[in-house]
Amino acid sequence: MKPAIFDIENWREIVATLARNKTRTFLTAFGIFWGTAMLAMLWGGARGFEGMMRRNFAGLATNLGATYPGVRSVSYKGFNKGSRWNMTVQDLEKIRRLAPAIEFSSEVNSRYATAAYGTKTKNGNVLGVEGDYAKIMTPVLSEGRFINASDVAGSRKVVVIGRNRATDLFGAESPLGKYISLNGIYFRCIGVAGQISEASIAGRIDDSFILPSSTMRRAFNWGNTVGFLVYTAPHGKSPADNEAVIRRILSSAHSLHPTDERAVGFMDASEMFSTIDGLFLGLTLLAFFVGLGSLMAGVIGVGNIMWIIVKERTHEFGVRRAIGARPLDITVQVLSESVVLTLVAGTAGVCFAALVLGIADKMTVDPVLGNAGFELPFATAIGIVLTFFVLGSAAGTLPAAKAMRIKPIEAIRDK
Amino acid sequence: MIITLRNVNKTYPGIVPLHVLKDINLEIERGELVSIMGASGSGKSTLLNILGILDNYDSGEYLLDGVLIRDLGENRAAWLRNRMIGFVFQSFNLINYKNALENVALPLFYQGVGRRKRNAMAMEQLERMGLADRAHHLPGELSGGQKQRVAIARALVTNPSIILADEPTGALDSHTSKEVMDVFRRLNAEGMTIVIVTHDPGVGAATNRIIRIVDGQITPENA
Repeated sequence: MKPAIFDIENWREIVATLARNKTRTFLTAFGIFWGTAMLAMLWGGARGFEGMMRRNFAGLATNLGATYPGVRSVSYKGFNKGSRWNMTVQDLEKIRRLAPAIEFSSEVNSRYATAAYGTKTKNGNVLGVEGDYAKIMTPVLSEGRFINASDVAGSRKVVVIGRNRATDLFGAESPLGKYISLNGIYFRCIGVAGQISEASIAGRIDDSFILPSSTMRRAFNWGNTVGFLVYTAPHGKSPADNEAVIRRILSSAHSLHPTDERAVGFMDASEMFSTIDGLFLGLTLLAFFVGLGSLMAGVIGVGNIMWIIVKERTHEFGVRRAIGARPLDITVQVLSESVVLTLVAGTAGVCFAALVLGIADKMTVDPVLGNAGFELPFATAIGIVLTFFVLGSAAGTLPAAKAMRIKPIEAIRDK
Repeated sequence: MIITLRNVNKTYPGIVPLHVLKDINLEIERGELVSIMGASGSGKSTLLNILGILDNYDSGEYLLDGVLIRDLGENRAAWLRNRMIGFVFQSFNLINYKNALENVALPLFYQGVGRRKRNAMAMEQLERMGLADRAHHLPGELSGGQKQRVAIARALVTNPSIILADEPTGALDSHTSKEVMDVFRRLNAEGMTIVIVTHDPGVGAATNRIIRIVDGQITPENA
C-alpha cells in the first residue's frame, strides 16, 4: 500500500468521517479554533495597546530632562526659607558650557496672552523657544518653517502659530507673511505647526503661539529671566547625569543651599519612559502566559476529546480491524483526523483573530497619529497554527496509540 | 479441506485457568454449510474466534485453505481476515455513519481498491442481496433483516474462502431469521463455504451438518 499521506482514498475516508459526525467534529474544532483565536488576539492585542500608548509620545524625545527654579527650603546666605529665585540667560550659558550630558537644549518661556488678527481675538499660550526645541519636540509643520537659531540670535519679531490657533484667527486663510498682535505687539507669521505626541512641554504646539525665546523676553519685559531649560541627553547617557553640575552652578549663582533639594527642580522623562517600557514588558508577558495557558487548554482539550472519541469508537475500530484494518490503519485514521481538524480549525481561528484585530485597528485609527498596530505578523500566524498542529498531533498520539491496541475480539463481542 | 483443526487447545489464564477448548479436531470441506452448536460457555465462541483469526490458540494446528494459522502478527492476521474470511455478526456491526454501500465497500478500502471500483463491487453484492434500492440508506434506516443482508454483502465483497457467522439470526424475529437462512442456503448452493455458530436448533436444522460442542470438546457426530 502507498504511504497513507499520499493516498487520496485515505483523505476521502477522513473527510467523510469528519463530515458525517458533525457534532463531534464541531466540538473538537471549536476548542482548537478558540485556542488559536485567543492566542492570536492576545498577541496582536498586546501589540496594539502598546502601539496606542507609544503613539502618545511620538515625536517627543524619550531621554528628555528639564531644569527649573524651585523654592528655597533652607534659609541660606540671608535668603529666607520659602523665597523664590529666577533662572537667567547667564545660568543657561554656564550650564551649556559645563553640563556633561546635554545633546540638544532649549530655553522655554511661557505665558498667557491675547492674540489678535484684524477683528478676531483669541486668548492663548505663548511659548518662547530656541531652534533646538524642534529636536526635542518634533513639530509637524503644515505651512512655512519653525523658529531657528538666527531668529533667536536676531530677536526677530516672528511667530509660528499653532494649528488650532491659526484656524481660530485665520479660518481657511493662510497666515504666512501676515501680522498678528500678542498683547498689542506685532509679529510676522512664519509658519503653522502642530505636534503628534499627546505629551507636551509647557503647552501643546497646536494651541500655542511660538516666538523666538529672546524675542519673547524682550517683548514682555522679562529682562534676563528665563522660564526653564529642556535638554536631551546623548545616546547612552541619562538626563540625570547633569544634575550635580547644574545644581552646583545654580547654587553658587543664586545663593542656594548646596544640599537644598527643592531649590532646583529637575524633571527626567527617561524615568517615566522606562516605567512605561516596564509596563509594556509586563503586558507582553501577561499576553504570553495567558496565551500559553489557552494554548495548553486547547491542546489538552484536543487530547481529551480524541480520547473520548477513541473510547466511543472502540466498537467501530474493532469492526474495522475484524474486516481487515491493520493497527497502523487505525492509528493513521485517528491521527489524520486530528491533524486535519487542527489545521483547518487552527487556520480558521487565526483568520478570525486577524479579522477582529483588523476591526480593532480600524476603530482605534487616529487621523493624525495613524493606526495603533493591532495586527498579527504573517510569520506569527503561521507559527501559532504550526505550534497547535505539532502540539495537537502530540496530544492525539496517546489516544491513537490506545486505538491501535484495540483488539477486534474485544470490540465486537456482542453484549 | 478448507478448514483443518488438529488437537487445538485453548486455555484462558487466570487464578483458575480455564481450559475452554480441549483437543479439538475438526475438518470442514469446501462448499459445506456447517453449524457449530453448543450451550453458552461450551467454548463455541472461542472456537469461532480462532477460526476467524481473531484469537490465538495454545497448541495444535489450524490450517485455513492450506495456510497454517499460528502465531501471526496483527498485520498478517488482518491481511488474512480481510482476504479469506467474511464475518457476519449477531448485532450486524455496521458502521452507523456510513451508508449501506460504503459499509459493504469498507473491506476493499483496506485492500487499497480505488473508490470507483470498490463501489461497483459493493453495488454488485447489494444487488445480489436484493438491496440495490437501499444502497444509500444509513443502517439506522434499515430493518434488522436488511441490516443483516448488508452485513452478508460486506462479508462477500472480498470473495473470501469462507463465511463465519456468529449467531446471525440472534437479533432477528423468526420470519426474518428464515429469510436470512434462505440467503445462506442460496449462497451455499452457489458454492460458498459457510460456518454458522448458533444455539438455535432451528438454525442448526437448516444446515447440512451440525457440530456439537460440549465443555470444550466436540461430541462424536450423530451421537
